[in-house]
Amino acid sequence: MGYYDFEQAAMLKSVDTLLLGSSARASWFESEWWHIDEVIGLYDSSEKGMIVTFFCITGLLVTRWIYLGHFPLSDLYESLIFLSWGFSLIHMVFYLKFKKRKNNLSVITAPSAIFTQGFATSGLLTKMHQSAILVPALQSQWLMMHVSMMVLGYAALLCGSLLSVALLVITFRKAIKIIGENNNFSFSFEKIQYMNERSNVLLNTYFLSPKNYYRYQSTQQLDRWSYCIISLGFIFLTIGILSGAVWANEVWGSYWNWDPKETWAFITWTVFAIYFHTRTNTNLEGVNSTLVASMGFLIIWICYFGSIY
Amino acid sequence: METLLNPSKTPNLFIPKTHLFKPYFLHSNFNPQPHSSFNRRPLSITITCKVKTSQGRKNDGKNISKKIVLTDSAPELSNEEIKAKPKGGGKAWGVIKKFPKRVLAILSNLPLAIGEMFTVAGLMALGTAIDQGESPEYYFQKYPEENPIFGFFTWRWVLTLGFDHMFSSPVFLGTLILLGTSLMACTYTTQIPLVKVARRWSFLQSADSIRKQEFSDTLPQASVSDLGVILMGAGYEVFLKGPSLYAFKGLAGRFAPIGVHLAMLLIMAGGTLSATGSFRGSVTVPQGLNFVMGDVLGPTGFLSTPTEAFNTEVHVNKFYMDYYDSGEVSQFHTDLSLFDMNGKEVMRKTLSVNDPLRYGGITIYQTDWSFSALQILKDGEGPFNLAMAPLTINGDKKLFGTFLPVGDTDSSNVKGISMLARDLQSIVLYDKQGKFAGVRRPNSKLPIEIDGTKIVIVDAIGSSGLDLKTDPGVPAVYAGFGALMLTTCISYLSHAQIWALQDGTTVIVGGKTNRAKAEFPDEMNRLLDQVPEIVESSISKKPDNIGG
Repeated sequence: MGYYDFEQAAMLKSVDTLLLGSSARASWFESEWWHIDEVIGLYDSSEKGMIVTFFCITGLLVTRWIYLGHFPLSDLYESLIFLSWGFSLIHMVFYLKFKKRKNNLSVITAPSAIFTQGFATSGLLTKMHQSAILVPALQSQWLMMHVSMMVLGYAALLCGSLLSVALLVITFRKAIKIIGENNNFSFSFEKIQYMNERSNVLLNTYFLSPKNYYRYQSTQQLDRWSYCIISLGFIFLTIGILSGAVWANEVWGSYWNWDPKETWAFITWTVFAIYFHTRTNTNLEGVNSTLVASMGFLIIWICYFGSIY
Repeated sequence: METLLNPSKTPNLFIPKTHLFKPYFLHSNFNPQPHSSFNRRPLSITITCKVKTSQGRKNDGKNISKKIVLTDSAPELSNEEIKAKPKGGGKAWGVIKKFPKRVLAILSNLPLAIGEMFTVAGLMALGTAIDQGESPEYYFQKYPEENPIFGFFTWRWVLTLGFDHMFSSPVFLGTLILLGTSLMACTYTTQIPLVKVARRWSFLQSADSIRKQEFSDTLPQASVSDLGVILMGAGYEVFLKGPSLYAFKGLAGRFAPIGVHLAMLLIMAGGTLSATGSFRGSVTVPQGLNFVMGDVLGPTGFLSTPTEAFNTEVHVNKFYMDYYDSGEVSQFHTDLSLFDMNGKEVMRKTLSVNDPLRYGGITIYQTDWSFSALQILKDGEGPFNLAMAPLTINGDKKLFGTFLPVGDTDSSNVKGISMLARDLQSIVLYDKQGKFAGVRRPNSKLPIEIDGTKIVIVDAIGSSGLDLKTDPGVPAVYAGFGALMLTTCISYLSHAQIWALQDGTTVIVGGKTNRAKAEFPDEMNRLLDQVPEIVESSISKKPDNIGG
């Protein structure tokens, strides 16, 4: 069993890590946020790299499933692999759905996938590379549904909240640049755009110049993307939590025990419910929802790792 | 009371729909004429000679007729009527009636709800940070007064606010109840009227209001009916009235949030029922023994009432475990027989960890196991049952041991053979000096010779750890879960509304959607491209581009 891990798995992993790395780098370069639009040739390679990565990780999971006889989601290592698969899946879905329009989602998904993979294979978790056997409590059909839904939900919510964080950074970077520009800080090409917009901090007034209108469009796009992905992640999270509760009822007789893992999942759910509610009321919309989503990002990681200790 | 009068301007026979008016009409020579004053909308029709008779009716002592006088005061009529029904104390009753409305308005305030959700989340986080259910001394130690955390957090905070049992403490439950009432208030005041609004097809009459929509466009040389046909083909429900058009799609997306809130209320209700009306208990039964369900189950709340099934006797026929090749435990099984009060066997089933037994509303779960006794033969005599004692219990890792005294059993320093076991499949034996002697499996019946004594391990008798539970709230909670999953998925669908107005030969189109805001303009543009352009007069239409 150990032999399998170190041979085939290592090969698959090295291939897909390489591809991930190059595609992540390529997608960062081509993104307009770094204003280097001429590296268009790399765009295609990053997309193709992500597609191949997706198939690699899928292959890894499937072979692991066949070899071990149980669904590959029983410990931290396997769930991290599944999480990176979730990221590449989200990337594939949105790439296929919006082929015509250039989407910047790969900037988020590709690095997330590589970081997750890297962490999983790093020295921190070497003990867990050997797959463990399932204790009796985990031998259930509900395992597949509950954990896969939860991990997919976390992947989508992480993507969405990262987009919100990016939106926050852009919004406040502009504000900081404008303020800094008044004090004659270092010259950067963002400053050229804002020379006309000295006193305007709000997004609404960016219509005045065509370049800023384009900027506004892209921030609006970011906002909508983030909303779309977070909605999807929220559905998965809801199904995951509820199926977990039903599973707990089947095994231990109580569908909610307030143990840390359950409670933190519920806290995550509550925070994203707050995110949706801040968006319904236009008074509170805008920056508030992005703040809530960023909070959600931190909370998901606490949920994932904190309840391990 | 809703329609006191037909609000159209054509003179109609006024037939009072409310019984309040009937007696008066029978008594007086009141001529039924259109009382447009009852209408809420300010119409300019005035009342003519009927004013006198209304004034005459005023003298009857009822303050209803007072309001029928002028058109200006008409809108207040129905409200006043409702309030005037109880004769005495009309004013006080009005104030009391207003109170629930005000409370409702406060409760369904959105920022309040968001604040409550934050509070709940924060309390839950605190509940995971503070160790729950420990003795007070533990908290005295952990949060001492001499060295408070963050400068103020001592054990006083923990114990008075109930943070040591956070999830059943009054603070937490109170916040949950507040959240529940906010949910109910919000559903009642905001969501349900939304249903009424969404179902009514509301036409927008002016071109300006259409242009103000999120997405708007102008189609020269087109006709609304063509647009209507295209929209119908795209799955919209289209309503045409004269020059204006209203279409919507995905009405479910509008109703789903209400469903989500109702599902959450159902879950909360079921959870409350579970917390107050269920029975719980756990028992460790050695193989071969019985217990009565009612002896084991204890109530959890004030609504718990025992049922007939509590008299059932449970007999553990056999307890055994499955193992992996590596020796780890793979599954526990208990073979149970249930007997009713007359001794008749009513059920027999083998439980395992993910497969509980359900009988009469009571569910039995396999949660734990223990080692009851070791059956051995000593020098051919026996079998003797040696009780196994738990030495260390560390979650799943257990160690049991027993001791067989050898030689002089009355001396103070009695020596013997020790036997240790981690599970039911292999026993490790040690001799009088404590040195390792051998390992035996109960099935093998192989003898082992230790210090001159021949030991045969006949059987390892385990005991099964069972949890019993009866929970009346589970059906409600499961129904709520299913509804929540379904409605959350449905609320992902977007509800799109489109208005159009025919202005001469131009059609002005506007639309909005509540979910898929990114794709909506593209979809609209695609649909609008398909509308045929009218090149000549309306008789002969030439489609410009179809399916563009």
